[in-house]
Amino acid sequence: MAVIGAFCVSVNRELCINARMPGKCATCAEVCPYDVYSLDVYTGEMYVQNFNACVGCRICVEFCPANAIRINPAESEYISRYPWTFGAIEEIHHKAQTGEYLLRGFGTQQPTPNFDMITVVPSQIASTAPLDKYREQCDMEVIIGEEKCEQPTHLKLPFLWPAMSFGALSKEAKMALAIGAAMTGIATNTGEGGLVPEEAWLSRGYTDKELTNKKWEPGGYLIIQWSTGRWGVSVDYLNSGDGIEVKIGQGAKPGMGGHLLGDKVTEEIAEVRGIPMGSDALSPCRYYDVQSLEDMKHMVEFLRDVTNYQLPIFFKLGPSRPYEDVAACIEAGADAISIDGLVGGTGCSPDLVTQGVGIPTIACLPPAVKALKDYGVHHKVKLIALGGIRNGLDAFKALAMGADAVGFGSAAEIAMGCRVCYACHKGDCPYGITSQKPELRARLDPLEAGQRLANFINATAEEVKILTMLSGHCRTIDLSTEDLRAMDLNTAALTGLKLAGYDRPLPMWENGNQQLHDNGKERK
Amino acid sequence: METINAKNKDLKVVNKALKEAVNGQPVVVKNAGHLHGLASGLKHGEVIIQGDTGDYLGVLNDGATIKVTKNAGKYVADNMTSGVVTIEGSTNYGAGQYCYGGIVVVYGDAGDFTATMNKGATILVAGDVGDEVGTYMLEGDLIVVGNAGENFSNYLIRGNVYIGGKWESLGNNTRVESLTSGDLAKLSAFFDKHGIEANLTNFKKIVAASEKPFY
Repeated sequence: MAVIGAFCVSVNRELCINARMPGKCATCAEVCPYDVYSLDVYTGEMYVQNFNACVGCRICVEFCPANAIRINPAESEYISRYPWTFGAIEEIHHKAQTGEYLLRGFGTQQPTPNFDMITVVPSQIASTAPLDKYREQCDMEVIIGEEKCEQPTHLKLPFLWPAMSFGALSKEAKMALAIGAAMTGIATNTGEGGLVPEEAWLSRGYTDKELTNKKWEPGGYLIIQWSTGRWGVSVDYLNSGDGIEVKIGQGAKPGMGGHLLGDKVTEEIAEVRGIPMGSDALSPCRYYDVQSLEDMKHMVEFLRDVTNYQLPIFFKLGPSRPYEDVAACIEAGADAISIDGLVGGTGCSPDLVTQGVGIPTIACLPPAVKALKDYGVHHKVKLIALGGIRNGLDAFKALAMGADAVGFGSAAEIAMGCRVCYACHKGDCPYGITSQKPELRARLDPLEAGQRLANFINATAEEVKILTMLSGHCRTIDLSTEDLRAMDLNTAALTGLKLAGYDRPLPMWENGNQQLHDNGKERK
Repeated sequence: METINAKNKDLKVVNKALKEAVNGQPVVVKNAGHLHGLASGLKHGEVIIQGDTGDYLGVLNDGATIKVTKNAGKYVADNMTSGVVTIEGSTNYGAGQYCYGGIVVVYGDAGDFTATMNKGATILVAGDVGDEVGTYMLEGDLIVVGNAGENFSNYLIRGNVYIGGKWESLGNNTRVESLTSGDLAKLSAFFDKHGIEANLTNFKKIVAASEKPFY
């Protein structure tokens, strides 16, 4: 709702099929998630009845068979009407009329501190010479759980798909993610909604359950999520993957659980989640079977035990107190820790939580790295950065800030075809990604979407490779904050990176971020 | 009958020995009070734990029969999918949470948050239970012979709750009903099977008031 009134919708009536032949076309009204268009049931004529509701996703533009629609950004109300912008006014009207707060899908809608004000430092004469992308090698492999597990996860590239559940996503989208992972040697994640049976073999690159026909090389990995709702969880479920992720929180709604409404619990989802059809699937905000860090240690121990000490244990954190939270995960025995920043997305969340709760991704990384270094496990316990990472440049910056791998959640949905209409919660995704309706799901071909995901990963890997080699490194693990500079005071203050030009960290970061996180107490 | 003495041994060693031993004959485990997660994820077999045990007993149990002769700690039979877990003494917080199936029988008392998010198991407590018992239950049966604390069966979504004693307060989305003949037959057969004496005339049944308790 925050973007309301920010776009102008114009229809060229000379091109519009409906304008020439009323009743013959209603594509725009069918696909628009916000009822911007309205069809007169008596005359069959189409009207732009609610142009203020447009969020600028341009799905109608893509679907319009006559190419008659144009969506243009309106003049920024942030200059002329702030703080009483049209969006703020409409939000109050919505609450006044319905008594309900706003719900929506996807991630943040307004600017938050991000990677854009960080620049990459190339190599010249004073530092190691740059490397040749065509002739020389760049090692991007990440091994998770090398020290503690008998079967570590060897990611071919420092990327993975973060957890997105079956229920939030369609079965076809889950299959596409698995195929994309198999084609590129990265990992996909079941999310908390149980295992879609096909994921188990598609993610490894096989087209059949018996694992006889390997179609996609090099084959990927499947991370099994263990979360607060425990949907479809059994010993067999835990042993069907290559790693277990203990979900503590997520970037879009840290401190909150999930809630799949009864109406969306279809027969298929009910079976995978192991619950009655049509019953609410409420994921609590915390584990009912963990009351202390001591309990969490025992949980990690029994998870290792039921998987015969083979599989790595991942933790997924929301953006809260990165230093303390990462330290707790290390103490609990994690092999890898994902930290999901403020920009992270979700299928459904209260607007104000997605928008206003949590620490930006760039500000999560320095304290998380500090915790890993204080415990002497940086790059041993792997750090995975999530939340608003869009391309190789963002990924490179996260890796240089100390992460071992990055996850593309929102970007993966976009690679499958999503146009970001913020309406995942409605279950009417026109691309069949976040919908359970058969007619919409039929629009998403898992093979084609899987290939698009693989293409996206391959292109992004090339981008990271270019940046790694031009800064004089042949391994992504060798990247450091020395390869980055902040371009404004704000970013330098949030991250502790050297400020470009000034060429050293801001004075408050001169002794590292020791005082910021110790509160005068000594830590390990 | 094979016996495993768990004294001074860690979970990995004991559970590994247990997995190898549970073929055919019952296996006895002694001195396991310090272990959290004992007999986890077993698919078959019979385990008798002599004495007390720690938290997460029989977690993710998938078919084994586990008996504890004294008391068990927190989260007994957490996330069980099938099998039988019997505690002859009492248990602490959160017994039978997240269970998809199987049977949990506690002959003594059970703590707060027992049977939270039960998704299909039968959980029987012969003594009293604490607060918030049966919260967010989705399927299955919870049978309490004694008394319950506050917010009993809070936000019940589906499933049946039977209680022989009194409760301090009932949770949201609950409706009290009298037992049908089918319920009586089910309960008496269950009590006979597990050797529990209870007066069925006092029992009440609690079901979800609405199938959609949240919106």
